[in-house]
Amino acid sequence: MNFDFTQQELMLFKEINDIMFGLARERTLEEKDPISAESLLREALDRLAKTSYLKLGIAQSKDIPGLCAMMGAMEIVSSCSPSLYLSIEMSTRLFGRIISTYGNEKQKAKWLSPVLYGKKLGAVALLEKTMNIDNDPMATIGIRENALIKISGVKNYVINGPVADFIAVAGTMENKPALFIVEKGIKGLIQGKRLETIGLDGVVISGLTLENCQINEDQIIGQFEDKSILTTLRIWENQIILGSCLGMMKSSFESARTYAKTHKTGGKPIIAYQEVGFKLAEMLTLFQTSQLFAYRAVCAPEGKNRDFEVLTYCAKVFCTEAAEKVSGWALQILSGEGYISGNPAERSYRCAKYNQIAGTSTEISRVKIGDAAIGA
Amino acid sequence: MDFDFTKEQLMFKQEVVRFAKKEIVPRVQEHDLKGEFDFESFRKLGEFGILGLHFPEELGGGGADVITTVLAGEALGEAGVDGGLTLAYGAHTFLCADTIFRHGTEAQKQKYIPKLASGEWIGCMGLTEPNAGSDVASMTTSAEKKGDKYVLNGNKMFITNGPIADVAVVYAKTQPELQHAGISSFIVNKGTKGFSAGPPLIKMGVRTSHTSELIFQDCEIPAENLLGKEGDGFLMAMQTVEWDRSALLAPFVGSATYLLKKCTQYAKGRVQFGRPIAQFQAIKHKLADIRIFGEAARSLVYRIAWCKDQGRPLNHLEAAIAKLYVGDWSMAPTFDAVLIHGGYGYCHEYDVERIFRDSRLAPIGGGTSDIQKMIISKLI
Ligand SMILES: Cc1cc2nc3c(=O)[nH]c(=O)nc-3n(C[C@H](O)[C@H](O)[C@H](O)COP(=O)(O)OP(=O)(O)OC[C@H]3O[C@@H](n4cnc5c(N)ncnc54)[C@H](O)[C@@H]3O)c2cc1C
Ligand SMILES: Cc1cc2nc3c(=O)[nH]c(=O)nc-3n(C[C@H](O)[C@H](O)[C@H](O)COP(=O)(O)OP(=O)(O)OC[C@H]3O[C@@H](n4cnc5c(N)ncnc54)[C@H](O)[C@@H]3O)c2cc1C
Repeated sequence: MNFDFTQQELMLFKEINDIMFGLARERTLEEKDPISAESLLREALDRLAKTSYLKLGIAQSKDIPGLCAMMGAMEIVSSCSPSLYLSIEMSTRLFGRIISTYGNEKQKAKWLSPVLYGKKLGAVALLEKTMNIDNDPMATIGIRENALIKISGVKNYVINGPVADFIAVAGTMENKPALFIVEKGIKGLIQGKRLETIGLDGVVISGLTLENCQINEDQIIGQFEDKSILTTLRIWENQIILGSCLGMMKSSFESARTYAKTHKTGGKPIIAYQEVGFKLAEMLTLFQTSQLFAYRAVCAPEGKNRDFEVLTYCAKVFCTEAAEKVSGWALQILSGEGYISGNPAERSYRCAKYNQIAGTSTEISRVKIGDAAIGA
Repeated sequence: MDFDFTKEQLMFKQEVVRFAKKEIVPRVQEHDLKGEFDFESFRKLGEFGILGLHFPEELGGGGADVITTVLAGEALGEAGVDGGLTLAYGAHTFLCADTIFRHGTEAQKQKYIPKLASGEWIGCMGLTEPNAGSDVASMTTSAEKKGDKYVLNGNKMFITNGPIADVAVVYAKTQPELQHAGISSFIVNKGTKGFSAGPPLIKMGVRTSHTSELIFQDCEIPAENLLGKEGDGFLMAMQTVEWDRSALLAPFVGSATYLLKKCTQYAKGRVQFGRPIAQFQAIKHKLADIRIFGEAARSLVYRIAWCKDQGRPLNHLEAAIAKLYVGDWSMAPTFDAVLIHGGYGYCHEYDVERIFRDSRLAPIGGGTSDIQKMIISKLI
């Protein structure tokens, strides 16, 4: 047992912190305009690629910190901007991890290296119109025609969809799950219009339609023998969401704490009032509990009994609900100041719901945890 | 970071679970119903080595590290040992014996630790008073030095093991004008003239632990029964917090595992609307929440234990966070557990009803949740 980060890990955190705060000094990190959002994203990737951040959890070497440190590092990026964080993560920790885990050497050279060096952007299209992958089969399908494969299907929400250089599209081929890598500009790929959302202002999201997009055999990852690949992708997405929650709690808590110590009413800082000070105490309790929970879940051994999956669902439910509470309380403490757009608490509060919906939703997570308990 | 236990630690935990299930759990419900302390179980805890697990072997202990000691507490909860017995063990080993071990002279250690570690003697700790609970420093029990004796006067309240203890570690003021800094700690033996315990209080939960008032009326004790130096008492009481926030919280973590198992068994067997209730999502939701609590609490508790094993001074912020989380959140799983059992859950036959009552102490004992919030809000 060990509850400390190593010196090497702490150094990495400092580097990431410096990069993110440097970027925040230069430009707004929650860019609403899609063109600015894309340029910000590429700039951030370029800078972060100078550290081992993009490689965490993907490339393995003794110079690259492990998964707990990955979670610690994710927290820092997410605390600076939930939108930028999610866009980066869908490219690296989801798209990149898919290629690194399931791709062959040629595929890695083509798609993984540019993503890990921050030169290219990835996206993953999983969810389909009115279908949740946990309940329903996927309708996106790849049909072999001579040496080519034609992909057709509709994907509902794809983060980085409109700007990604490579998209991993989940579907089935010959009744087996597979991932099709489509590249930007491919014929038959129709971008939906950018979706307006309650939070995550700077994330570029759209639906995607694939109409007989033609790809080669070496653009297929899989075909997989069973649906467990989809579970794995969800677990990785859930890990990304855990990092997002920690960052939101960090920024909300810190802004509320600073305000409570400096803002005075009745001649004293508002932290001196138990209604405020005790809320901060509860916020920090949820935040620290979430941190330890997320660290433990992410570095739990992937044993045969798949208990680590259940632990991830547990952490996801806890951290996503905690993030909403903590950002809500922060907003309450910041009051008028917090209600004004651009405040970290206001921003986190609007983003928090996404984390409960996306990945394995809170409801489905609880059902899965319950199923595991009863051995279903 | 690394959240894994060693193989030896896990094997020991399983041994404790097996021991407790066989030797202790079968008598729990009966003693709870009668509100009686289970002397036999306590003696067995001593025989097995749990009461003195972390003390050095020369003093009759097991020489275990803190994590292993905390794991034993979790194991007792996981086996289904009631909150009364784990509280009695906690007050005895950590609040009483450990204070003597840490601050006592060699002679005091030799005299008390072996007998406390074996369970031959039962210990208690008296800090709280009828009018000084959260505000400990306002205690009024006094200890006046007269020659080679101290004379104690005052009352202590809610003292776990009070009516059955052979040895009490008692906090009293030697210099009342100094508030915290005027508090000292003493060892008082059963049978000392002027020292008595009130009858056991009738409580909603933790009913197998006996709780009472301690009364000191011109109670003379030898000056050598002072622990450490005069004025060190408050710091000593604060140091017990390390155990309070790890070993005393661990049974709640174990209890969540126990509840999950019990509820799962029940839900799989109970059929309504033609199918086991375990198949309803509403039941799975509750099972999930029970598991989530246990998993969330675990790392908070072991973080305190690990830091203590590293010889680090207690991080008061982390300690208060652990206590606040376990205190406030450990009740919901017991509420859910009763609900899963329906009407049977409300009856004593199924022990979830007892666990529900026992858990209510978590946000009160050892410093209420409000006090934890006060500490946290001051430290941030
Ligand atoms: C902003 C945004 C960005 C996204 N980005 C991506 C992306 O980049 N790539 C991608 O693939 N997907 C993405 N998604 C999709 C996201 O993963 C899904 O929204 C999520 O999985 C939930 O699916 P759904 O919206 O279809 O809800 P549904 O599955 O229809 O669920 C509706 C409600 O019913 C509950 N429910 C459903 N089934 C059950 C059940 N069996 N038992 C109990 N309750 C149930 C759900 O929990 C939820 O509360 C994104 C979504 C959003 C909002
Ligand atoms: C079963 C049991 C066993 C116990 N065992 C022991 C033992 O072995 N040894 C021992 O010394 N003590 C023991 N105690 C005492 C326990 O530690 C105290 O009950 C506890 O610290 C609270 O003190 P109190 O009961 O006097 O409540 P009070 O301090 O009177 O508190 C009453 C309420 O006011 C709140 N409150 C108090 N001050 C503040 C504040 N500043 N701000 C906001 N809210 C506040 C509290 O949170 C609580 O809700 C035991 C108690 C019980 C019930």
